[in-house]
Amino acid sequence: MAKILFILMTILVYWLCKKLYKKYTIVIFSPLFTSLFVMVLLLLVLHIHYGNYWSGGKVMAWWLQPATVAFAVPLYKLYPTMKRHALPLSLGVVTGTGISIVSTVLLADILHLTILAPSLAPHSVTTPIAMLTSRSLHGNPTLTAVFVIITALVGVIAGPLIIQHLKIRTSLARGALLGTGAHAMGTSRAFEFGETEGSIASISMILAGILTILFAPLFVPYL
Amino acid sequence: MKRTVPIMLQLILLVSFAEIGNGIQAWLGLVIPGSLIGMALLFFTLKLHIVRLPWVEQGANFLLAELLLFFVPSATGIVQYGPLFDHDGWKIVTVIGVSTILVMTITGLIVDFGMRRKGVPE
Repeated sequence: MAKILFILMTILVYWLCKKLYKKYTIVIFSPLFTSLFVMVLLLLVLHIHYGNYWSGGKVMAWWLQPATVAFAVPLYKLYPTMKRHALPLSLGVVTGTGISIVSTVLLADILHLTILAPSLAPHSVTTPIAMLTSRSLHGNPTLTAVFVIITALVGVIAGPLIIQHLKIRTSLARGALLGTGAHAMGTSRAFEFGETEGSIASISMILAGILTILFAPLFVPYL
Repeated sequence: MKRTVPIMLQLILLVSFAEIGNGIQAWLGLVIPGSLIGMALLFFTLKLHIVRLPWVEQGANFLLAELLLFFVPSATGIVQYGPLFDHDGWKIVTVIGVSTILVMTITGLIVDFGMRRKGVPE
């Protein structure tokens, strides 16, 4: 019974947060932050143990699997665009993804967060893939989910500033940096620059995710 | 008029691909997650026109549009880690911040350089 209640509670909070964002379209009101904030607050105020909440929560988390499969659809639709710009795009995304993982693990080491390194390593990519990567690195997928949110916040603020200061003028480069660096949040910001930026960001996000999950387990343990 | 499959059936199809992926992963003992194998399978069956876009498009759009909803329960798990963020919060934000700025700068510069060499104006 409680299970269904928790599911309904999550859907309601999510739905209200989406409505709020429609009314006030400011980054800080993004449902990514507000729905998480409200859920945490509800659990704390109502003294709900996370383990109990998870009995219902996992039913929804399960949908991340078919959602990952769903990425095949934009990938298929954007395939011609991807093929046209294959070389610069793949060079950028491959390097960017490599830099993300290596710099994260090294920085974590320097700041004595070595134990968190496997959970931090996939922070740049889209949540379902980041969580799967975290699991295969023996990290903590829940912490990874939170790190992905922090990345989104940093990314949507830093991305446009980087574009402005480095005078990044091609649409392709703008899309690639937003999608590789800040996954879905970066992608939605990229659509504000234009249709091309948005499509390229989607491609970059998916490619970065695939690269991360395939290659991070091969070299993170040796860093 | 394009014939589309009802969204519930589309979702069942997407779930089947995930489950087939999981099955293959377990069967071959792979490290790659089943859902990623499912994604590859769907991509190639679309490319080979075995699966048609209208069979899965709406379902996929729905799942991707509400991606956040499916991940709220996992992220809410942060309630268990209050002390970690009290203690190491600024370090965590530093790692993520510096690495995100590095990624964006380098990716942007490489792609911009590549595109300008190709002589693409915008």
